[in-house]
Amino acid sequence: MNDSLPRVRRRSAGSVLPVSLLLLVLLPLLLMPLAAIYIFAGSSGLAGFWEALRQPDAQFALRFSVLIAFATAIINGVLGTFAAYVLSKYRFRGREALLVIVNLPVAIPTVVVGTSLLLLWGPIGLLGRVLDPLGIQPMFMPAGVLLAHLFVTFPYMLGAVKPVLDELEVTYEEAAYTIGANRWQTFRFVILPALRGGLFAGTLLTFAHSLGEFGATVLVSGNLRLRTQTAPLYIFAQFEAGNIETANAVAAVLATLSFVLFLILQRFTQRVVERPS
Amino acid sequence: MINWRLLSRQVVLYLAVGGLALYAVWPWLPGANRAQPRTIVVYGFSILGEVMNDGVFPAFQEHWKARTGEDVEFISSFGGSGTVTNQIILGVPAEVAILSLELDALRLVESGRVDGSTWRELPHGGILNRTPFIILVRPGNPRQITDFADLTQPGVGIIHPDPLTSGGAQWAILAEYGSELRETGDPARAYEQLLGIWQNVTSQASSARAARTQFQSGFGDVLITYEQEVTYDMLRGQLEGEIVYPKSTILSEHVVVVIDDNIPRADRELIDAFVDFLWSEEAQRIFVEYGFRSVDETLNVDVPYFGVIDDPFTVADMGGWPEAKREIIDAIWKDRVLQEVGNE
Repeated sequence: MNDSLPRVRRRSAGSVLPVSLLLLVLLPLLLMPLAAIYIFAGSSGLAGFWEALRQPDAQFALRFSVLIAFATAIINGVLGTFAAYVLSKYRFRGREALLVIVNLPVAIPTVVVGTSLLLLWGPIGLLGRVLDPLGIQPMFMPAGVLLAHLFVTFPYMLGAVKPVLDELEVTYEEAAYTIGANRWQTFRFVILPALRGGLFAGTLLTFAHSLGEFGATVLVSGNLRLRTQTAPLYIFAQFEAGNIETANAVAAVLATLSFVLFLILQRFTQRVVERPS
Repeated sequence: MINWRLLSRQVVLYLAVGGLALYAVWPWLPGANRAQPRTIVVYGFSILGEVMNDGVFPAFQEHWKARTGEDVEFISSFGGSGTVTNQIILGVPAEVAILSLELDALRLVESGRVDGSTWRELPHGGILNRTPFIILVRPGNPRQITDFADLTQPGVGIIHPDPLTSGGAQWAILAEYGSELRETGDPARAYEQLLGIWQNVTSQASSARAARTQFQSGFGDVLITYEQEVTYDMLRGQLEGEIVYPKSTILSEHVVVVIDDNIPRADRELIDAFVDFLWSEEAQRIFVEYGFRSVDETLNVDVPYFGVIDDPFTVADMGGWPEAKREIIDAIWKDRVLQEVGNE
């Protein structure tokens, strides 16, 4: 892949020391904890691992997490792209403030997000007080989990798409307009293709973050087995209950899934960078 | 020109995403012939997890199937009693709650989730089962602990659940204070004992179960917890430690609360049948099998793993929960012990 660009690499004997030093630091910090999950998963044998995974509540938790992640990725994929388009293409009063607000979820602790959602939608909350008597109560329901994930992951799509839009030459759009394309056609045939890489990366990031979300979910889900318990909550609950093997089996699956997502993301972004020719 | 490498890569990607999506929605696909069984939503405090999931729920499912031919599904969540109570106050759809202490049930009344002390109309005043508070020490009892008083020795590391979220922790405080009060009748000495113990608390876990997990992971010298927590492990041959029975200790009493507002009218009969079942001899025997002391004293006779306590007492001996909470937990533990421990 990289054969066209001969990189300058130092292969001198001098590199041995810094490299091994780095590995020595990373080993207990990053590599060994990750390895511990898999080693522990294997220690009770493959049979024990499968048995733990086959539990209906473990299966539910994994499926529920994946479903929520898909829903979050799709909804925030559309919303985030729309937000990026508006913020990138239009100049209006309050744009700067809006930019800060939409990026805020990155900076806010997720537990705070959970609290704030409860204080808005919960039975004692601002909206909840009005909606609860009508029988509308998203908290402690799958909808509440989705709301929390939409909030927490909102900036990722924006962050992936907006820089591409900002870079996009206006001349392409102008050219499209001059040959009679309307606004939608311009978006569909000029802007969207250019955004493909950003859309893909943003969606994947959103998906991955949703899959692992814990802090906000633990507050708004009610942690109900077979109803609203996501995979990270399942891991936490089982671990706290002392069922370390069960917790670890799901943790291993979640880690693997995230790892694969990350690999795809890595390879894809590389390709996008290489492709312009 | 078709770029085959790119295409195959895309195909793999689509297959992977499609496969993952299919896996996720599989149980909900139409034609997966899943007749929706009726459900009972149970929220319980931490140590009830196993006995309910593995013992009582399956027994009731069989019982109900034999009686009506219907399948019942249990949806449950177990956590610290305070956590569970807070979740119910905030609106989780619990139909039946089993709380570690009546105090949490009273909080449900206060918040309007439950209409008055309805549990008192249930069998045994709503009390499902009991278990005394004991001291668990490391194998061989290296610290020579024989009673609560020994826990005040400097250097003893105590794992204690957090009274903010754990019902067990509140029971433990009553045991730590009340045992000395009963032996000496002197509130000052009882206070000294409670203070001494709390000066040695090195970790506060969110629930009794979480505290046990910490102790099992090697933290601390001593764990103060429900007898059931420990006997249950002993029965499975997983106990690493020894139980020390204090001369005098409290028997915790666990309360069943039915959250009427969360029960659809169609399920009323089912929920009532389940609640009645909890006090049936079959269910009470299951509780004993898992280390709880039954409300039916005849079932507790000759159970080898129930240790002897010279002077057991209940919260009624301390004036009932509202008074014990006000006079001991708040006025003594929270306002005096916690302040003093914090000032060191």
